[in-house]
Parts: sequence; C-alpha cells; structure tokens
Amino acid sequence: MRPYRVLIAGQGRSAARSRFALREPVRMFDWIKSLKRRIDFASLFVFLFPLLLFLTILYGMLGWTFYVSFANWSGTAPNYEFAGLKWYRLMMSLDRFWVDMANNLKWMILGVIPTVVIALFLAYLLEIGSIKGIESYVRTLILYPVAMSFVVTGTIWSWMYQPDKGVFNTILRSIGLESLTSSFFTNPSTATYWLILIFIWQYLGFAVIILQSSFRTTELQEMIEAATVDGASRLRILFDIIVPNIRGGILILISLLLISALKVFDIVYIVTFGGPGYSTDVLAFFMFIATFQQHLVALGAGLGVIIFLLAFIIVIPYTIYAFRKWFE
Amino acid sequence: MKIKNLRLKLLVVLTLIALSVAYILPIYVMVVASLKTPVEISQRAYLLPSAKLQFQNYVEAFRLVFPSLVNSSIISFSVTLLSAFFGGLGGYYLSRSRSRATKVLFILVGIALYLPYQVVLIPLVQLMAKTKLALTHFGLITSYLILNVPLASVLMGTFFLSIPRELEEAAEVDGANKIQIFFRIVSPIALPAYASTAIIVFTQVWNEFLLALTLSTPRTTTIQVKLAEVKGSYVALYNLQMAAALISVSIPLIFFLVLGNYFIRGILAGALKG
Repeated sequence: MRPYRVLIAGQGRSAARSRFALREPVRMFDWIKSLKRRIDFASLFVFLFPLLLFLTILYGMLGWTFYVSFANWSGTAPNYEFAGLKWYRLMMSLDRFWVDMANNLKWMILGVIPTVVIALFLAYLLEIGSIKGIESYVRTLILYPVAMSFVVTGTIWSWMYQPDKGVFNTILRSIGLESLTSSFFTNPSTATYWLILIFIWQYLGFAVIILQSSFRTTELQEMIEAATVDGASRLRILFDIIVPNIRGGILILISLLLISALKVFDIVYIVTFGGPGYSTDVLAFFMFIATFQQHLVALGAGLGVIIFLLAFIIVIPYTIYAFRKWFE
Repeated sequence: MKIKNLRLKLLVVLTLIALSVAYILPIYVMVVASLKTPVEISQRAYLLPSAKLQFQNYVEAFRLVFPSLVNSSIISFSVTLLSAFFGGLGGYYLSRSRSRATKVLFILVGIALYLPYQVVLIPLVQLMAKTKLALTHFGLITSYLILNVPLASVLMGTFFLSIPRELEEAAEVDGANKIQIFFRIVSPIALPAYASTAIIVFTQVWNEFLLALTLSTPRTTTIQVKLAEVKGSYVALYNLQMAAALISVSIPLIFFLVLGNYFIRGILAGALKG
C-alpha cells in the first residue's frame, strides 16, 4: 500500500484530510515497512557500513595526498597554501627522481619477467615430472619466504652478500673461485640488481603456486593429453597450448608482481638505505626520505601521487579481470 | 621414450637440488650464525656450526625484542580478527548483490586492494597525530584496518562466490532475514575461508614495515621496526641479529607450516582463484 492511495480513495478535500489525519500513522508505518522489505536497510547497513567507512577514509586520504602535492608544505607544520605545480617542477628537475624512475623500471622488468619465466618452467616441470611426495616438499621449500618479511630476508641477504666476510664470497674463495667474488651491493652500478635477486628469491614460490593452479583445469589437462597423443614435444605443449590457455593467470600474476616491485621499500631500506649515494634509491624510498627526513612534505606527496598513478595503471587489468570474473 | 623420461627425471632431480640449496642455505646460515660467538663470526668459518652452541644468544635476543613481540601480537591479532569479520560482511554483500551500485563499489575496492601505502602515509600520520591515536596501539590497528578491510572483503567474497546459493534460498523461504542467513548459515560454512583470509592478513600486518616505521612510537614499536633497529645498532653482532630475526619469523612460519593449505588458498583467492 502506498500513501497516495489514501488521497485517491478520499472523495472531497475535507474527507481526504480527515481520513489522512486518522490513518496517517498506520499508513506511514506500512509504507516504511514495505520500503524496508524492498531495500532491507538493516542488512545493507550491517554488511556495508564497515567497508564503506574504511573505503571513504581511504579515498579521502588519497584526495588529501593529491591536494598536499599541490600545496606549499615544507617543514614540520602543515601548510595547505596552494602552490600549483611548484613541487612537481622541482621533482622533475631532480637527478635523483630520474635515477629512481630508472631503478623502479629495472625492478619492474628484472624483478617480474625472470620470476614469471622461472616459475612457469618450474610449475611445468613439477606437473610433468613429479616424483611421489615431491610436490609438498617443493611447495614448502619455495613458499616459506612468502611468510617472512622483507626486513628478515634483507637481514639474511645482507649477511650473505657482505663483501668481506659474507657467505657467498667465503664459499667462492674456499672452492678456489676467487675471481668470481663480487663486491655485491657496495658497487653502485650493480647494487640494484643484487637487491632485485632477493625479490625474485622471495616471490618465486608465490608465482609457482598461482601458475600451478592455472594448469589444473580439466579443459587444459584434456588438451595437453590430446597433444601428447599427437606426439607434440613437451616444450611445444608448454608454449603452444599451456601459455595461451593460462593467459588470465599469467596476467594476474604479472600485475601482482609489478605492484609489489613498484612498492618495494623494505629491501632497499634494510640492505642499502638507498646507497651507495642514491644508486639503489627507488620512488617509495625517496618518498619516505623526502617526507620524513627532509620534511619536504609537498614533494613527498607528489612522489606518492606518481607512485599511485603507476600503481593505478598496473592494477587496471587486474581490476577488469576481477570484475568480469566476479559478475560473470 | 624411455631415454626421454630418464632425461626428464634427471632434470627434475637437478632442479630440485638447485632449489634446495637456494632455499635452505639462507635459513641454514641464519641458524648457524645465530648460535655463534661474535669472535667465531669474525673468524669467518660461516658454514660450519659453532663448536659450542651459544643458546644464550637467543635469551639475549629475546630480551631485546620481547616488548615489540607483544606490541606486534596485539596489533596483528586485533587487525586480523576485525578485518576477517568486516571483510566477511563486505565480501558477502559484494558477492551477492548484482546492482549497479555494487559494481561501482567493487571497482573502488579493486583499486584500493593493492594501494601503495605511500599514497596515504602523509594524511595518516596527520590523522593519527591529531587524534592522538598514534600514542597507543589503536593508531596502528586503525591504520591497518583501513588498508586491509578491502583486501579481506575481496578474499572473503571470492570464497562466498563459490558457495552454492540453494541453502540461502531455502532459509529465505523459511523466513530468515539476510543477517540471520549470513551469521547462522553462511558463516559456519565459510570458516575455512575465514582461516585463509585471517592468515593472509596476519602475515601481511606482522611483516609490514613502512607504516610501522612512521607511525610507531617507543611504546608501540613493532617487531619489524625493532629488527631494523637491532640491525642498525648491533652492526657487528650478526649472531644477535640472526637470533632476533629467527624469533620474529617463528610465529608466521609456524602458522605457515601448520596451516599451509589455508595459506595457499588465501594466496590463490588473492589471485582470484576461489
């Protein structure tokens, strides 16, 4: 029953008014009840309130950071005076910013592609050449670093890399390969690569797990079987049948790894602190230094905005894929 | 065919050996170094275990990190419980509603999922300082909640999508409302999903460094921040560094070893494979 029915039902104005006055509380109650039945506000509130609250705060803070990057805030006290592109101009003129961009690019290419390729071969090898009981061993072996923090991995690896007393150089010396010893992260031109190696080591298990689960669809297994019967070689099966059929899984894996490589902060902080000089610096680390050590907060916010825009581009394919999968 | 199989087996075994070395060596080095005296460490016999195992390194390291272990536990467990709970609610709605508003909301959540923390760091520090939340554990708890509830919602939602609707429809016919259905019928079935989500959020929060570094005060120092501090101030004492690091990874590692399957399922849900 909708409230206007009351008016339609009434004959004259006064009659309508008297009826309305008499019945209004009951009718209004009915109306709210029917609305409640249709939209179910109580459950809407219970289910969505926490998520919406946190999401609103999150996007609010995002907007706040955007604004700060256009403000004239340098120093410890907040300053929201508008300064236009002043700090972006400064950022673009800094050599350090471009070193960071180049380093982030190295991270995103060298940290991601080798991980995906090695993981692909590893997952395939486990699939075709599995010996009994091997799988759970390998899973535990290569996945445990996912449970560890970069702070811990960074600590172990700085100890292994240590040029003078470290594990790698000691092993190399003891087996007579003095010439292969390396100064590792103390050499500015190669330091970043050694850091990236830690990242690959830590994320390999993660990548293998995701690719393995992509292999295991019945459709794909049937196709592989058919190709095997036809006598296709194993490598051809991998590249002509498996890879094209797990595009979705590979895409998701690449987005997740790219985001992690872009966000990398802890490894740099722990192992090299951006050094030697700022040769291993990355955007995330510079953002931290600019904001909390140099107190150029507007510059830090600008760097944050740049990181966000890059992350946004990376996350688009993930979100589209997720969206299709979710609402299919 | 036989030779081919032999070659394959050989390849598998060789790969296995290479992997084992690459993944056991760091842990082995860590354990061995944590049981040495500083003198033995400077003598460079890295791979050999110490003649006399120095268990008191652990006592000392434990004394050093104990307060931060407590802080990290309080923060990580609270965030885990609350995010799993809120994530369950939000994820259920996202997985059941098909309205246009839900689709928009889903995209907003999707973007927030893997948001780099740098983007919200400055406002977060301002908020926490203004509200004085930063002085207590609530500061970090709230911050991590804001950042982890979207993730928890998507993880839980991925699991809910795979639960058949028939049960819920039957309950609806019996006159139960959505909230009752969620708490009495769906949640009990989804307990494994809660475990997976919880273990992912827990590891993430326990291992988080950037926010903890900027927001923690001496009273709320988390374990990761403490480890970085130990690494900085005990430069030559690798034995203590390693012992402290081992103590800090023991909790997530135990979860990983005991609840490995939930952990893997959580990772797969993050990659949208429910």
